[in-house]
Amino acid sequence: MSLTVEANTQRNKQLVEEVLKVYPDKTAKKRAKHLGVYEDGKSDCGVKSNIKSIPGVMTIRGCAYAGSKGVVWGPIKDMIHISHGPVGCGQYSWAARRNYYIGTTGIDTFVTMQFTSDFQEKDIVFGGDKKLAKIIDEIQVLFPLNHGITIQSECPIGLIGDDIEAVSKAKSKEYTGKTIVPVRCEGFRGVSQSLGHHIANDTIRDWVFDKLDKDAPPRFEPSPYDVAIIGDYNIGGDAWSSRILLEEMGLRVIAQWSGDGSIAELEATPKAKLNVLHCYRSMNYISRHMEEKYGIPWVEYNFFGPSKIAASLREIASHFDDNIKEGAERVIAKYQPLMQAVIDKYRPRLEGKKVMLFVGGLRPRHVIGAYEDLGMEVIGTGYEFGHNDDYQRTTHYVKDGTLIYDDVTGYEFEQFVEALQPDLVASGIKEKYVFQKMGFPFRQMHSWDYSGPYHGYDGFAIFARDMDMAINNPVWSLTKAPWQQQA
Amino acid sequence: MSLRQIAFYGKGGIGKSTTSQNTLAALAEMGQRILIVGCDPKADSTRLILHAKAQDTILSLAAAAGTVEDLELEDVMKVGYRDIRCVESGGPEPGVGCAGRGVITSINFLEEEGAYEGIDYVSYDVLGDVVCGGFAMPIRENKAQEIYIVMSGEMMAMYAANNISKGILKYANSGGVRLGGLVCNERQTDKELELAEALAAKLGTTLIHFVPRDNVVQHAELRRMTVMEYAPESKQAEEYRTLARKIHANAGNGIIPTPITMDELEDLLMEHGVMKTIDESLVGKTAEELAA
Amino acid sequence: MSQNAEHVLDHFDLFRQPEYVELFENKKKNFENAEPADKVEQAREWTKTWEYREKNFAREALTVNPAKACQPLGAVFVAVGFESTLPFVHGSQGCVAYYRSHFSRHFKEPSSCVSSSMTEDAAVFGGLNNMIDGLANAYAMYKPKMIAVSTTCMAEVIGDDLNAFIKNAKEKGSVPEDFDVPFAHTPAFVGSHITGYDNALLGVLKHFWDGKAGTVPVPERVPNEKINFVGGFDGYTVGNQREVSRMLDLMGVEYTLLCDASDVWDTPTDGEFRMYDGGTTLADAAAALNAKATVSMQEYCTPKTLEFCASKGQETLAFNHPVGIAATDQFLMAISKLTGKPIPDALAKERGRLVDAIADSNAHIHGKKFAIYGDPDLCYGLAAFLLELGAEPTHVLATNGNKEWAQKMQALFDGSPFGKGCHAYAGKDLWHMRSLLFTEPVDFLIGNTYGKYLERDTGTPLIRIGFPVFDRHHHHRYPVWGYQGAMNVLVWILDKIFDEIDKNTIVPAKTDYSYDIIR
Repeated sequence: MSLTVEANTQRNKQLVEEVLKVYPDKTAKKRAKHLGVYEDGKSDCGVKSNIKSIPGVMTIRGCAYAGSKGVVWGPIKDMIHISHGPVGCGQYSWAARRNYYIGTTGIDTFVTMQFTSDFQEKDIVFGGDKKLAKIIDEIQVLFPLNHGITIQSECPIGLIGDDIEAVSKAKSKEYTGKTIVPVRCEGFRGVSQSLGHHIANDTIRDWVFDKLDKDAPPRFEPSPYDVAIIGDYNIGGDAWSSRILLEEMGLRVIAQWSGDGSIAELEATPKAKLNVLHCYRSMNYISRHMEEKYGIPWVEYNFFGPSKIAASLREIASHFDDNIKEGAERVIAKYQPLMQAVIDKYRPRLEGKKVMLFVGGLRPRHVIGAYEDLGMEVIGTGYEFGHNDDYQRTTHYVKDGTLIYDDVTGYEFEQFVEALQPDLVASGIKEKYVFQKMGFPFRQMHSWDYSGPYHGYDGFAIFARDMDMAINNPVWSLTKAPWQQQA
Repeated sequence: MSLRQIAFYGKGGIGKSTTSQNTLAALAEMGQRILIVGCDPKADSTRLILHAKAQDTILSLAAAAGTVEDLELEDVMKVGYRDIRCVESGGPEPGVGCAGRGVITSINFLEEEGAYEGIDYVSYDVLGDVVCGGFAMPIRENKAQEIYIVMSGEMMAMYAANNISKGILKYANSGGVRLGGLVCNERQTDKELELAEALAAKLGTTLIHFVPRDNVVQHAELRRMTVMEYAPESKQAEEYRTLARKIHANAGNGIIPTPITMDELEDLLMEHGVMKTIDESLVGKTAEELAA
Repeated sequence: MSQNAEHVLDHFDLFRQPEYVELFENKKKNFENAEPADKVEQAREWTKTWEYREKNFAREALTVNPAKACQPLGAVFVAVGFESTLPFVHGSQGCVAYYRSHFSRHFKEPSSCVSSSMTEDAAVFGGLNNMIDGLANAYAMYKPKMIAVSTTCMAEVIGDDLNAFIKNAKEKGSVPEDFDVPFAHTPAFVGSHITGYDNALLGVLKHFWDGKAGTVPVPERVPNEKINFVGGFDGYTVGNQREVSRMLDLMGVEYTLLCDASDVWDTPTDGEFRMYDGGTTLADAAAALNAKATVSMQEYCTPKTLEFCASKGQETLAFNHPVGIAATDQFLMAISKLTGKPIPDALAKERGRLVDAIADSNAHIHGKKFAIYGDPDLCYGLAAFLLELGAEPTHVLATNGNKEWAQKMQALFDGSPFGKGCHAYAGKDLWHMRSLLFTEPVDFLIGNTYGKYLERDTGTPLIRIGFPVFDRHHHHRYPVWGYQGAMNVLVWILDKIFDEIDKNTIVPAKTDYSYDIIR
């Protein structure tokens, strides 16, 4: 029993009206701008975005610190990232994002550690700059193989006016040009994680690129096939199962930003011939900068699901010579049998299943193709911290009549899911148990629910298997006791 | 008698600490048991009572000890003239940290340690303007009941008095804080008394006392003493006694202030000739432009 | 290509395949500017030395891998322990996203909490409008019976006054005048999550017992025979609260669990999402003023709360996360003394069963050395139990422990022959613990999930007891208090001991003579 497109659009619009009724007038007016229905031919999704969350509504968003420490900087593995301020921020984000890396933790790599200045009342009252200076000294003694330090500011730093830039400069000089990066990513800045991405991007520009020694000999001979992976955080190994494809088609990946990345890779990136950008939202800023300053073109790609992977490999290859173009075709052909086998196995179990998404970064649009490869349909989607350019890009993915919800509130999301009855909800940890209690199969699409990788061909096999195990879990038929089921 | 909590606010340099210490010394003379809580990073709210240059502050001691929990009340509380108890909150050097948070820390500490037991008056002496939430701590509910604003006939002092009234208004509706009145510390500016009374009227309060200028205050200060102690028979000492009596009698008479806009304030100053009427056509013109 | 549609390789298998191993090697060699392997190895060895330990313990400013969280986390934990209560944290919104994730990862449950979403303008002008709008929205959308407000460090630094703000919000009609909005200032730069627990619970009790911030007359206490129980911040709260109830029911004691999150952290999957479930009713919270006594199961979670209860004329008692025979004995006897109710035979029998179990298994635990870290009360309770088992709690570390706690721990060690050579470390972190485990090795480590990094680095087997536990499921459903709770702890410890013996004897023809079928 499926509705016509018009009827579906109409129903979704009514649903939005219904849901808005719960709010006080002022809030309803504001939230109405973030909820909409995509209509074919429009240039965006008809919703406002990147606006302050409304107090008290239970937004799913995080903060600028999460965007900088948690996303952009945190995965750079050979640097030490100090959560500067009280203990909590670093504690809750400690090793929670599954940015896989290879290294001896605590000796030459530090991603899954929590370094904090653990601010006390006296640090607030008297300022924390002296403590920060001492922390850097102590790091140098106890972790001598670190390749740099970043200072990830928590809320109080900006409020009490600490001068972390001055401390960074002084210490960098003292330690003979050591990379020390002060990041003003206090949680109250901006409206979500998004500003933290931007701020972090800018600090790479100002404190890494602009401090490069132009006369230093390159660490490797450049090649015409050098590319950098930008905006892949290697969650569950995503960047690895992507990198392997780029290498197989004949490209040389000189840097990963920032999953399993190192400061040397960041520094080498201005030598790339092409930047390939996966998460547009979090790293478009630095890609644009490299384009302007170093003349490096960038191309967005999508490594979710065989259709989008093939299209992306060809798109990337189009920036290179025939060797690479042939390489792309070779790679697509090589994995074709695996993809066919995956689809043959899982598509029959998933055909026609409906999905509602709510995620951050690129995933509210990027994963749609992967679901469609499995015969599934995305009937609602939204961004935690997207901007209008994300919603414009989304139009290439969504169908006419798709329900769109920006910065969805807990209440709205529940109501939408209850009304649309999808077969799968794909969102984050804070949403997972809500919907499972309601009886909906669920997959976390930030952490891959501790699975992954989901990128690349190797990842798609896991993705398909995971969606199947969620939707076809026998427990969903057991949520009602037999004696409580209606006849 | 239940605990009376008051606070002195006012622009920096107005003679706020001098006025408050003398007034409190006069209250002590009347037999009141007094605690002074200095809420200024300069920590100079109690020096005349203690004859001391500077007192160890709560925050400096807490920083040395590690946390404020490691402090005992007797570490921070000193007793001076007529058994007036004195504590200084203290705070960071200018330009670093957060002095406002320091005020919150200190007052919480004092309450938890029972500093307010066995006294009749707590007086908070608060830095300049209500620049942030921290400096509003003394006017939160269950803190000061009345605020006395020390001012003079200078424009900036009046501007500050109006601002402080705005701060009080914020808390007055939800809490019990009231404006007790203005205290004018004579600067010998033009029409000072008249102006102070006019401002008080605008704010919906009264000029509770006009303290005349007298060199004996400076003489006493040089000896790090209040006038009350240095020259108890002086005319000036009598002024402070009067002020003290007025404040003592003023319990429960505070009002919710009606602060005025910047324009109204300027009109007031112009009315009294403190500020020249502005020719709008001259605004934003450089000397050169005006000469041309 | 190793991936396979029939047998899908997960990350832990996929990346061990030769094509990936080669990829890793090339990446490292060509692009990472990695330190040479011998240098890394040298440094790794150096971190195991006494020399490194001394440098590590000389740290004054840097904290590495602390075992504590911040105050508002404890405040949120308190809020959800009351009937239909929505936690509302005033300040930056990212903090709330973190608390919710943190709890959901531990309890595998939804965690509902709202923020006033303060941003840069609120940092300058104060967050009053955020409070006004936030309360109005939360009340309209989530229909709570109570909203419990706490603060992030942002609101604390700028000095927002909750009492005034809430009153202002009520005047503006955000929530009805008589709607319950208890509050607590919970600065993250003071204490830890257990401090936040104390402040928030105090806030709720003050609200009900002290006249709702001056809006109603202060109620008069009419003492009755009931006892209030306060669990403290506890990752095992689901199992523990139910176990306490069961024991008290057996004794026939009349009681109120003050702050009971056992249901909201353990909701069924039956088609309905329960944002609120169970919890202390608001009527019970108010009536708890009349109780004869308030008993805290965790002393270091409740200093201010107990002081307040005492100021109201109640007797107060505090335990330290009581685990084991003696600790449960003391608890039950104290309750019996307080209420005049005898301890029933059923509980004596449970005790006997625990003694029986310990006697059966003693040979495997006796003399084993343990390192423990966690919140101060949990550390104390576990150390006391280990001493009872004849084991040695050699290193006991609480990042949020203070000097007084360390002295109390020392007194515990001094009271047992097995406590000789044991030491308590207050205010230290897990990087300190790493040095301890290298320089003074122990047989087993007890701690939360983060302990697995210590297990990896030092080879000390980890027994997961504490908060948070993210990487093992469902242990929070089991009690660790009472004789039955101690039985759970005993079994968890024994399981790990036996697993280790098996692991160490499993090599065929080499060590498997000891791979015994009976142990």
